[in-house]
Amino acid sequence: MPRLIAIEWIKLKSYRPFWILMILYFVVLGLVLSGVMLFFEYVASRGAEFNGLDPSMIPFYDFADIWQNMTYLATFLKIFLGFIVVISITNEYSYKTIRQHVIDGLTRWELLAGKLSIILVITIVNTLFVLVLGLILGLIYSPVQGLDVMFENAGFLLAYFLDVFAFLTFALLVGMLIKRTGFAIVLLALYTLFLEPIAALILSEVYSQYTFTQYFPIRAINNLISVPFGKYVFQEVQDYIAFSDIALVAVYVGLFIFLSFRLLKARDISG
Amino acid sequence: MTPILHIQNLHKRFGKVHAVNDLSLEVLPGQVFGILGPNGSGKTTTLGIILDVIKKKSGEYRWFGEPPSAESRKRIGAILETPVFYPYLSAVDNLKIVALIKGVDESRIEKVLETVDLHERKLDAFKTYSLGMKQRLAIASALLADPEVMILDEPTNGLDPQGIAEIRQLIIQIAEQGKTIILASHLLDEVQKVCSHFAVLKKGKLIYSGSVDEALTGTDTVEVAADDMNRLEEAVKQFTHTQSVRPEKQFLRVRLTDNRGSADLNQFLIEQGIVVSHLSQRTNSLEQQFLHILAADQSSATSGNHSFTDQKTTSHA
Repeated sequence: MPRLIAIEWIKLKSYRPFWILMILYFVVLGLVLSGVMLFFEYVASRGAEFNGLDPSMIPFYDFADIWQNMTYLATFLKIFLGFIVVISITNEYSYKTIRQHVIDGLTRWELLAGKLSIILVITIVNTLFVLVLGLILGLIYSPVQGLDVMFENAGFLLAYFLDVFAFLTFALLVGMLIKRTGFAIVLLALYTLFLEPIAALILSEVYSQYTFTQYFPIRAINNLISVPFGKYVFQEVQDYIAFSDIALVAVYVGLFIFLSFRLLKARDISG
Repeated sequence: MTPILHIQNLHKRFGKVHAVNDLSLEVLPGQVFGILGPNGSGKTTTLGIILDVIKKKSGEYRWFGEPPSAESRKRIGAILETPVFYPYLSAVDNLKIVALIKGVDESRIEKVLETVDLHERKLDAFKTYSLGMKQRLAIASALLADPEVMILDEPTNGLDPQGIAEIRQLIIQIAEQGKTIILASHLLDEVQKVCSHFAVLKKGKLIYSGSVDEALTGTDTVEVAADDMNRLEEAVKQFTHTQSVRPEKQFLRVRLTDNRGSADLNQFLIEQGIVVSHLSQRTNSLEQQFLHILAADQSSATSGNHSFTDQKTTSHA
């Protein structure tokens, strides 16, 4: 496996667009995650309130709560990581290097494993970024401190890890299927942000007695971390990670990887 | 001797097009094997199949006597069509990737870059290279693992005359080190200059396979003229090594056998008391032979397989 990562590293380390997108992503993610309190205070200063609650009173960064709040918010930006993954695979098709890799002696599985290991590394770095930022913000804002509360509910970081990893394997599949960078990015964004949510909305209206839209891939991935904010206006929210949600997403990850592998196996490898 | 490459009854279809049609071939160690054919004759498709990037419909192939695998591909240095590299990476970084794939020590990179004379530009991005340099880097990449066999697909395509000469020189140099080379080309002259053996493909079918020398021997003709053409013709027909005589406008075209040349014919004619006024030997090129092969295939498409010698006599008789 280190050999495959080394190969991917050579490709990425001099690829400027990759670094620009990565840095942009982390800057935006950092700003969004750390700016929530400032945003709430701004909203409060304009006289807005949520169900009679002063927004600046919301304990967004309080330990224990912080992990679900942060990771929930962070998942909205994962689509940009998806674009990076799409580019990294469609480039191989447009440069025809994927074909040359096979000619040179990589197996189909090694091709896929190389990309999966890069996805894994990106996901780990991304999760660590949220972890470190969460610790810093918690130390700044949280009224309760101490090791015992700091990592309470830190399981949401693992859910976040799985969330992003699953989405990126989906992006990889889309990239392999479409092969062309522009089309693949548009399709990924369109499906993730519009097609599936709208289809789910319509279908759940039409077949309101069923809950099958819960099993759509993007929905399933997004369901890992539930919307946490309701609890601040005394609604009931799911403030834990359900095992069934994890199992479903794990099945999807397996399916995405399997389909990607089938694609590589079944098709002629061309540019 | 275990063949380097053995292809048996290979088929590939792209929709209605039968891109590779019942192809069987064998390449032995040390051969410089040319695969010759017009564009669209199935050369690249065949190479794509034996390199495992194009799915075959049926048939079999073996490398080094073994069923094909990623491990056997590591022992092959190959480029299909155009040189394929990351445009933004330098020659060194591009070759590092190949070295990692093939499990080769990075120290080889310097060596192969010197072999192809790209040493000075090794840290520049691939996209800044001229076509000739790209082609040379592709050869360097194919050489990286010091492979037993190299596959080159149209290696001089699009190059200027100097670039073509450089690449051919490089191929000959590599062949002299005893490597087996498989070279696909639509340029006959290239195959003639570089290859020891060749196969001709047409619409996916193998229509000829043999050694270049074999294909060219016995194809020389001698043009001869004298004041008395009738007497000359009679005399020439009596020469024991004459295969065929064909009168042309100014001279007789004589095909000789048994490796006899114009000197032998002249000697004989002098003994017969005939003084020739014109004598010249014409060496046929593979190009003419190739056109004969294609023409023969066309005219006798129904008669099934025919050997090279078959059509040689028919086209000249």
